Amino acid sequence: MDVIINLLVNGLATGMLIFLLAAGLTLIFGLMSVLNFAHGGLFAWGAFGGVWIFGLTGSFLLSMAGAIVIGMLIGLILERFLIRPVYGDHIQQLLVTLGGMLVLSELLKVFWSPNPIPAAVPSYLQGSFDFGGIILIKYRLFVILVGVLIYIALHLLLTKTRLGLIVRAGVIDKEMVQALGINIKQVFTFVFLLGAGMAALGGSLLAPYSGVIFAEMGMQYAILAFIVVIIGGMGSVPGSAVAALLVGVLGSFMAYFVPELSLAVNMLLMLFVLLVKPSGLFGAKG
Amino acid sequence: MIMMVRKAGSLQTRLFLVFFLSLAILPLIYDSRSLYILCTQIFIFAIFAMSYDLLLGYTGIVSFGHGMFFGIGAYSVAIFMKNFGATTGNFLFGILVAVVIAAIISYAIGMLSLRLKSHFYAMLTLAVSQLLFVVAEKWRSLTAGGDGFTFSVPDFIRDRFSFYYVCLLAMIVLFFVLRHFVQSPLGKVLKAIGQNEQRAEALGYQIINYKVIVSVVAGVIAAISGGLYAGMLRFVNTTVFSIEITLDALLMTMIGGIGTLFGSILGSGVVEIAHDGLTSLAKVHPIFERWIIFMGLLYIVVVLIFPSGITGSFNNWLEQRKKVRMQQKEIQMEEAGKKAG
Repeated sequence: MDVIINLLVNGLATGMLIFLLAAGLTLIFGLMSVLNFAHGGLFAWGAFGGVWIFGLTGSFLLSMAGAIVIGMLIGLILERFLIRPVYGDHIQQLLVTLGGMLVLSELLKVFWSPNPIPAAVPSYLQGSFDFGGIILIKYRLFVILVGVLIYIALHLLLTKTRLGLIVRAGVIDKEMVQALGINIKQVFTFVFLLGAGMAALGGSLLAPYSGVIFAEMGMQYAILAFIVVIIGGMGSVPGSAVAALLVGVLGSFMAYFVPELSLAVNMLLMLFVLLVKPSGLFGAKG
Repeated sequence: MIMMVRKAGSLQTRLFLVFFLSLAILPLIYDSRSLYILCTQIFIFAIFAMSYDLLLGYTGIVSFGHGMFFGIGAYSVAIFMKNFGATTGNFLFGILVAVVIAAIISYAIGMLSLRLKSHFYAMLTLAVSQLLFVVAEKWRSLTAGGDGFTFSVPDFIRDRFSFYYVCLLAMIVLFFVLRHFVQSPLGKVLKAIGQNEQRAEALGYQIINYKVIVSVVAGVIAAISGGLYAGMLRFVNTTVFSIEITLDALLMTMIGGIGTLFGSILGSGVVEIAHDGLTSLAKVHPIFERWIIFMGLLYIVVVLIFPSGITGSFNNWLEQRKKVRMQQKEIQMEEAGKKAG
């Protein structure tokens, strides 16, 4: 029993991290039809930036905030100089964001080093709780908590504010939103920065979770996020949340019971969705 | 008009022949092992980049996992050579098996995702290639994982001089075969799809079939190039499945010029020579070890500012010049007419 609960907690924690990455991806896609291949780069920069700031200041809260700021700054640069010039041309967008990814992950190796860097868990999140024989690692619970808070905040932002209303309307029909006199480009920039910030936060949370960070992890997690976005449906935040948790939990159970299949199961899930419902579980766009 | 096109075509073909002939003479007048190796690598990657150009340049399909076919080719040849002996027959058989596997996988991926919008194919190829990377890493009994394994090859591959010609010949033959392919009626439909998919569909073409065909052809050609690559290195490890291989193809086709085939050959030359030059600068400053940054920046500039690459920009420039000359001629004639009037 304790094994199952532990695996569930692991899976949920991983799922939350993937959700932070996938939520931005799916929102950016839904609103701007841009599939941002540089998103994993933002994630990796968040991780490296977070570890760096944690090493300098020793404050974990500061390192998370710093990672978000770094992610948003890079996101601003990406949006201004890479995505805006080719807006509307899907093939060029795909190509240019991949170029951005390439430069971002190579720059990581220049600033830090090509070798993996260890990342420490802050002292107050070390150790574990003991619930009558079931041992739960504190940091994983913390990751789940942050993920839930971010989801609630995002949900409130999208459903209760005027800006959220505009974003949701934009996902459905951006020409109409524009016709109503709203500067949709500003909304794009905002959503892109929001996504970049969440991705960087995800990276900074992952660093102590996996204990070690390296430049290629951006691509690794971005692929998981792509799978999640396909399964959940492009443009749907609840869809990507459900799919992220599904992928995380399935991955952690498979890694324990049938390790050979742990990566294949996500692929099979994605293939199944592509075959049966290409628009995804919750998606409106095909 | 038709006569002009034909004439221009034959002139182009002649220029290509001159270019290829000078490549064939090169090793006879300049004897250097490192040059052979560099050129052989350029030829192999040119084949790979041409296969990518079929997808991206002609049909407008973006693949982020094209390297998987390259990797399949490399592993297939390597495994056959290692387990069944270093004979020419095994080399060819390894390539044949790679071609069959590549055809099956590219067909399956194409059928699954080419019905949907372009980013599905990009994502699915990326994901499948990562899956193959993991398989190659984990299936240690067959692939020896990340460490890889060496194997011996027949003499004509081992000898740098003769293998130079093998790869050059392969590149030339495939270049003309693919040129014939894209100029065939089928190739014209592919171009039409690349330029305006809805229009091509409205004209009654079953888009998905054409896209799957081109995806299979591209996969097969890429597998051949991967097989040659393994022959050249006499070694294989999981890096042949890494994303960098796909990025190489992307860089080469974009920089050389998409939709021209010849651009892929030029692009391969530029990227490989730049790689060679930049990494040798690493002693001057360590940043040159990360040569991909320069290539990445160059790539971004190309995508944003010169989306037609070297050959495309050159062609545009030629056409522009022609137009200007025609206009000047017209003006002159008009003036002459006025004077006469």
